[in-house]
Amino acid sequence: MGTFIQLVVDGLAMGSIYGAIALAIVLVNQSTGMINFAQGGMAVLSAYFAYALLGMGLPLILAILVAVAISFVLGALIERLLMRRFESGDPDTAVVVTIGLLTLITGIAGMVWSYNNLQFPSLFPPDSFSVLGAAVSWRSLGTFLTIAAIMVLLQLMFQKTKVGLALRAVADNPKSSAFSGLPVGRLLMIGWGLAAALGAVAGALVAPRLSLTPGMLDGALVYALAAVILGGASSPIGVVFAAWLIGVLENLAAVYVPFIGHDLKIAVPFVLLFVVLLVRPQGLFGRKTVVRV
Amino acid sequence: MNMRSKAVKAMGIVAIGSVVALTLAGCSRGGDAGGGDDGKGGDSGAPAASPGITDDAITLGVTTPLSGATAGPGNCTVAGLVAYFGQAGPIEFGDGKTREVTVEAFDDAYDPQKALSNFQQNQSNVFAFTSGLGTPTNRAYREAAIEEEVPQALVMTGDPLFSDRTESPWQLGFVPIYQNEGAAFGELLASSEEDHKVAILFQNDDYGKGYVEGFKSAIEGADNIEVVKELSYEATDTAVDAQLTELAASGADVFFNAMSITPLAIASIEKARELSWTPSWFLPSNTSSPGAILTPAAANAEDGFYSVSFAKAPQSPAFAEDEDVKGFLAALEEFSGDYTTKPDFPHCMWSYMVGATLEEAFKGMTEPTRENFMKSLTDISDFTAPLMLEGTSIDTTKDGQPAVASVVVQRFNGKGYENAESFD
Amino acid sequence: MPKMKQLWSNRWVRLGVAALVVLILVLAPWNLDPATNQALARVGVFAVAVLGLNVIMGYTGQVSLGQIFFLGLGAYVTAYGVNEDWNIALVFLLAVVIPGIAGYVVALAAARLGGLAIAMVTIALPIIGVPLAKRLSDVTGGSQGTSARFTSAPDWFGADLDDIWQYYIVLAIAAAVFVLVHNLVRGKFGRALAIVKENEAVASSMGISPYRYKVMAFTIAAMIGGVSGFLYMVVVQYTSPETLAFHHSINLLASMVIGGAGSIAGSLLGGAYYVLVPNVTNEIDPTLTALIQGVILLVVLFVLPGGIASLPRVIRRLFQKKDGGGDRTAGRPTTATGTLKTH
Repeated sequence: MGTFIQLVVDGLAMGSIYGAIALAIVLVNQSTGMINFAQGGMAVLSAYFAYALLGMGLPLILAILVAVAISFVLGALIERLLMRRFESGDPDTAVVVTIGLLTLITGIAGMVWSYNNLQFPSLFPPDSFSVLGAAVSWRSLGTFLTIAAIMVLLQLMFQKTKVGLALRAVADNPKSSAFSGLPVGRLLMIGWGLAAALGAVAGALVAPRLSLTPGMLDGALVYALAAVILGGASSPIGVVFAAWLIGVLENLAAVYVPFIGHDLKIAVPFVLLFVVLLVRPQGLFGRKTVVRV
Repeated sequence: MNMRSKAVKAMGIVAIGSVVALTLAGCSRGGDAGGGDDGKGGDSGAPAASPGITDDAITLGVTTPLSGATAGPGNCTVAGLVAYFGQAGPIEFGDGKTREVTVEAFDDAYDPQKALSNFQQNQSNVFAFTSGLGTPTNRAYREAAIEEEVPQALVMTGDPLFSDRTESPWQLGFVPIYQNEGAAFGELLASSEEDHKVAILFQNDDYGKGYVEGFKSAIEGADNIEVVKELSYEATDTAVDAQLTELAASGADVFFNAMSITPLAIASIEKARELSWTPSWFLPSNTSSPGAILTPAAANAEDGFYSVSFAKAPQSPAFAEDEDVKGFLAALEEFSGDYTTKPDFPHCMWSYMVGATLEEAFKGMTEPTRENFMKSLTDISDFTAPLMLEGTSIDTTKDGQPAVASVVVQRFNGKGYENAESFD
Repeated sequence: MPKMKQLWSNRWVRLGVAALVVLILVLAPWNLDPATNQALARVGVFAVAVLGLNVIMGYTGQVSLGQIFFLGLGAYVTAYGVNEDWNIALVFLLAVVIPGIAGYVVALAAARLGGLAIAMVTIALPIIGVPLAKRLSDVTGGSQGTSARFTSAPDWFGADLDDIWQYYIVLAIAAAVFVLVHNLVRGKFGRALAIVKENEAVASSMGISPYRYKVMAFTIAAMIGGVSGFLYMVVVQYTSPETLAFHHSINLLASMVIGGAGSIAGSLLGGAYYVLVPNVTNEIDPTLTALIQGVILLVVLFVLPGGIASLPRVIRRLFQKKDGGGDRTAGRPTTATGTLKTH
């Protein structure tokens, strides 16, 4: 029983990491309608900014906050200067542009900070405590709670605030939004900026555990995408729950289904995704979209 | 009508002209059939020099991952090499000529197809390929190298195929084969007087499996050693928590961790501590650095962290005053700025040793040909390269063994490593 | 410019140019050094892979991030067959059929799902494919991979001319595939695919079942992927689980878009991009390959969002603008008919 709980706890911790990136992807998706393959890469770059600020002597929390602010600006600039040109065209081209962005960011990080593994300090103490017979580290708990809090904040923002409504309107129908007087350009920039800021928080939370390298979040990106689709691309709560589910089920399948084992456990999220999508194409928590023919 | 027929005619003339020109030119390559690629000499008198070598210069090629997930160790495989030849300056060869050594690196991003491409595009400009990282990438161009008779010397893979002189006449591995490292620890453990239960975690590829194979063959027949659990993980995994949880529940007191990924090694040490599991550890040579892994993970030396090594670790305080290490760090700083100046991975030290070994081979060459180079390379014995630990040396004369066959089992003492005679 | 159009419409001119192109392709390797021929052969391999991707993505508008899986599967089938000493024609057939069957099965299930979901199912293919290839080590050689040497030039051709021999094999097979697909997309099938891509509701109201056509397109894309896998073995003669790693699928997608989605010439350009850019970046600075590749990709797309294959169109439009906006009908309306929009 102890093993089972431990696996669940660890799955939730890992799932929080996937969920963090998934939230950023949802944010961009909700405001611009596209999938940003570079989301993980941008989060890593933000973590490097924080690392550089730490090196200059700033205390950790301040370094992270400044990195978040820089990332917001950077995200907005990327939207305005790079993505704007492709938003109204073929979405496949836009996705490939984000792929190019990811490659570029990885290359820049590798050039400036090298490909070595850098140590990033954690905001939380390194100890762990026991819960129901399972060991939980403060770091995992802190990550889990932070992501949960951000998830709730995002959900509230989208559903209850004017900005959230405006962002969703712009993503849904840019032309009508423009006619209604919404500052479409500025809202797009805000959407990307927020996503980048969120990514910065995610990067800082995750870097102590995964060790800072340019490709730190490449593995997690695929899981994040799976979580986005499983949860429904329009729901912050949905994608985080999906991410947690993926993390937990993966662990359980690896240990309790010997046929799958640890090498094929990566199939679990996808099989789950497939089954859910057959029954509910909009994802677990997504809204059904109706398209005028 | 007139204009159109003129245009058509003009195009026709151009077409026929090109065809004739091409056919005539085409005969040039056809006539050379069989003459093309490598300079095998064969004239009487002085043998024609192989490509990539002149009277005052020689070019070495390295195809290795300089970007992507394995770029950390990949950059190190070039950094040490460049540092060595930078501080060595022009080298006097066995044929009396003094030559400047240039190292050209090519990024293959750990993609076998790109490694082959790098080989094909550059084999006529470089004298030999060396120091490349990775089994699939080295395997991808191994047969082409044999066919073209281009040396693939002292590569960074523990795959035994490269040290089999019959199968791979133009190749030689540098680092010990994985089986040897695993066996070294297995022997130490088997010689212990007490009973031990072993949990194994291995990387799911030839690297991890090789370690386990060597370990198991060394403990065969030892009644006091029992393997209670064996699990694998993928090099691309983000966490090994589930595996650690299972292994901790097995009640083993020895943990054989054949892992080559730095962040996962740190995570596994931390996870074991979280789970209150305190076995003795075994870590492979390339993932046991005190500075990069044990100290960040706050590893408790009391538990017993064992590793195998043949290179001095610069981060170890024991070697702080060591001449070799000081020279190595200075050379790295001065010459390897393009790649990396921090030896975070042992490949930096290893490629430095490759440089020294190559110098030995150059000194034994009597002709500027690739064939002569291979002959000289496979004739080095009892050579202690800089940075080698006492008790280890380079011997390239044994069929089936790479340049480094001997390793020393060491134990972490809180700051660095010291030799372990027995398991306690 | 009208002169060019008149010339081009003359059948004899077209045949003449085609014959010239064929002649150049056939005679070129004798004039070039082995390294270039090998590079050209590799371009052929990945041009075919990108062509397969174009069939399902460019022409039918369905996202597939699993094309590399079919290439890998074709390569593994080829390696196995060659090492078992089977007849090479049989091996080629299997390298086409087995990935085709796999594609058919996947498509049967996935084609019912919408845009992003198909993407995830296709992502699953290489992601699950890699550990599967490692696990089935009896058949695949495990993580060390398998070698299959079978494309050394026979003695009657010239023993030292391996690179030319391989080039011809790739040229022959790739040309055949390109011609087949070209005819396919020009005909009824291609028009049906275009309608399915544009608007599925309209398609079904016309009696064209989107589901059936998506399954067919996906199967064809998988078969073409299998062909490219066979050609991969011809040129590289070694395969390992690395061959079907997921990030290659992303590179194939980028190559397709850069070459020009939904275009035959674009597939060729995409293959050239996939193979030649890493060589170019190695020449410039091997330690900065990621950075340079990112820059190249972004610059190309910034200047030519429709891919390199759209260059003639862009130039034509530039000239027309200069002529005072002559031929209005040349421009095509840009509708967002792509596949990665989620709502």
